[in-house]
Amino acid sequence: MRSLFNAARTGIREIRVHKMRSVLSFMAIAVGSVVFIDSFAAIFSTYDRLQKQKEVSGIARLKITQDYNQTSADPDQYTPPPVITYDDAVSLKSKLPGLYMVSPEFQSWRNTLEFEGKRVVTTLAGVTPEWAKRDFVYTLKGRFLDWHDVENKLRVCVLVRKAVPPPTNELNKTRMKQWDYTAAFDVLVSHSDMLGKTIKLDDVTFTVIGILEELPASRAPDIILPQNRDYKVLAPVTTLAHYGFIDEENDSMDLSVDAGDENNFGESLKLVENFLKIRFGGDESFLIDNQMEMIKDAIDASIKASLVTISLGMLAFLAGGIGIMNVTLATVFARTKEIGIRRAVGASRGDIMLQFIVEAAMLGLIGGVLGSVLGYVWGVPVKEMLGLGRSPIKLWMPAVSVLIATFTAFVFAIYPAWVAASLKPADALRTE
Amino acid sequence: MSISCSELSKVYEGGKAGWPALLGVSFEIKPGEFTAVTGPSGCGKSTLLNILGLLDEPTGGRYLLNGRDILEMSDGERSDFRRDQIGFIFQSFNLLNRLPALGNVCLPMMYAGIQNAEMQHRAHALLAKVGLKGKEKKTPLELSGGERQRVAIARALANSPKIILADEPTGNLDSASSREIMDMLLQLNAEGITVIMVTHDKELAARARRNLRMKDGRLEA
Repeated sequence: MRSLFNAARTGIREIRVHKMRSVLSFMAIAVGSVVFIDSFAAIFSTYDRLQKQKEVSGIARLKITQDYNQTSADPDQYTPPPVITYDDAVSLKSKLPGLYMVSPEFQSWRNTLEFEGKRVVTTLAGVTPEWAKRDFVYTLKGRFLDWHDVENKLRVCVLVRKAVPPPTNELNKTRMKQWDYTAAFDVLVSHSDMLGKTIKLDDVTFTVIGILEELPASRAPDIILPQNRDYKVLAPVTTLAHYGFIDEENDSMDLSVDAGDENNFGESLKLVENFLKIRFGGDESFLIDNQMEMIKDAIDASIKASLVTISLGMLAFLAGGIGIMNVTLATVFARTKEIGIRRAVGASRGDIMLQFIVEAAMLGLIGGVLGSVLGYVWGVPVKEMLGLGRSPIKLWMPAVSVLIATFTAFVFAIYPAWVAASLKPADALRTE
Repeated sequence: MSISCSELSKVYEGGKAGWPALLGVSFEIKPGEFTAVTGPSGCGKSTLLNILGLLDEPTGGRYLLNGRDILEMSDGERSDFRRDQIGFIFQSFNLLNRLPALGNVCLPMMYAGIQNAEMQHRAHALLAKVGLKGKEKKTPLELSGGERQRVAIARALANSPKIILADEPTGNLDSASSREIMDMLLQLNAEGITVIMVTHDKELAARARRNLRMKDGRLEA
């Protein structure tokens, strides 16, 4: 204990005397520390995001669609595949009450909307209240569709108000004009107070009962599978069928299903396949998208990306450690004479080793503390200033980083310290 | 503390056959003796002193220190021996310039694990004994050559050694300082400490009780 204290005292003196050398060592370790904290924070924000995504999107998801790509050897024998209707959705839900969500969805891509004399192009989605159970990333004004609306085929609808898009460049703006044929709709919805008013959809009058506002991009939770998220007008699927928006003989709906429990997902999948077989005499007319697999792949990809980040942090520490080793080795050679003197007055090999290791560990410790401060400054105020969003730095991250910094310096000082301890006293004394 | 060497030799590595520094040296030194080792430079005096002080190992022969063969000692035991029984005085002082005089004197006691208060007390007393009272806080660079050598003597005495090994202790000093240092060594010898001094100053050697003359790695009769 005493010798440790003495070694620490000598170390502090050496660190103070060799300011430049010490500062460079601190920096080498501090940079590692910054990268480490940053990557740890990145991992945690990824983890948090994934948790939120799982809550919003669910995991045990599957999607049933009609398989349009039916082929037939003889065109005369071609029979169109059976269509999925609202009744099928109701039946599936009643046969398999364990399913968390059975959401029938029908998309109509080109409709007109008239409001106070203005006509715009829009898309129209027929849904049920089930739709809102997953991927609901909006704030709602008014109310959403309910089963009363659906069962009574009421002419009510909910409009989606787009968030202000993030700033983009000129090329993107041109492209958006070219492709975004519902831009006028977005403008209309964001600049008019349409809640409670009536609108005309392809000359059928509807009442707007709710507005779904998209959250601004910075605060919106991501959904794991963001395809087909461009909803504009949502109305009861039954109403759309009743008023001829859907041709129930030919237009097939998609069924978005959340089995609820990912452990029973395989079983649920089989039950759904069975249901289709019994109801339609076979399941080859349908595609069942196993979205759970896609979701899991997406999650795995995020986790892998995090591991890459953390390995970068470890590499940075390694680089810092090698820096410390280099500095310590240089110190050993610069202080060979001193080592000789200390050995002559009775220092053992262990004393010499301890001295250099303690000194390096102190460099690591101070570097780690410095790095933690820099890591915080970089992760919170600087990142916020640069618009990167603050890192979720937890108190234990700097603590772990300081420990690892000290440990790294300790490990990398062992070899130089051993070199110092192995010097023969007479040889060490002879150097100038 | 008795010293007994028989056929001690030392060949430094390098070249085909190596470079011989000692070629079979035998002698005995009884406790309390004051021995001067003289001879021209390169004759092996310092090599002999390094071996006697356990800073280096002989490549041949036997060296019994207080009856123990030093080749059978572990590195730790040799370190302990150097710390507790041997005090070194070098021509170039070999003080740590970053430490004040007091710190230099404390160094051997630090490795002996002596409590801080006791260490400070002893270091002050030793510096007073060598006539450096009031200069405890000065670093070696602020002291004259003679004063530095006195700090080195105080350091050598820190753990009350039985043997003082002095390698050209006055080589870098003027004649007045040289006389003072020599007086001090004689005084220490009078207190019972064995002193072995390497020098090529015949005048100083004449003041020692016993003279060993070396030439080309051997003792002259």
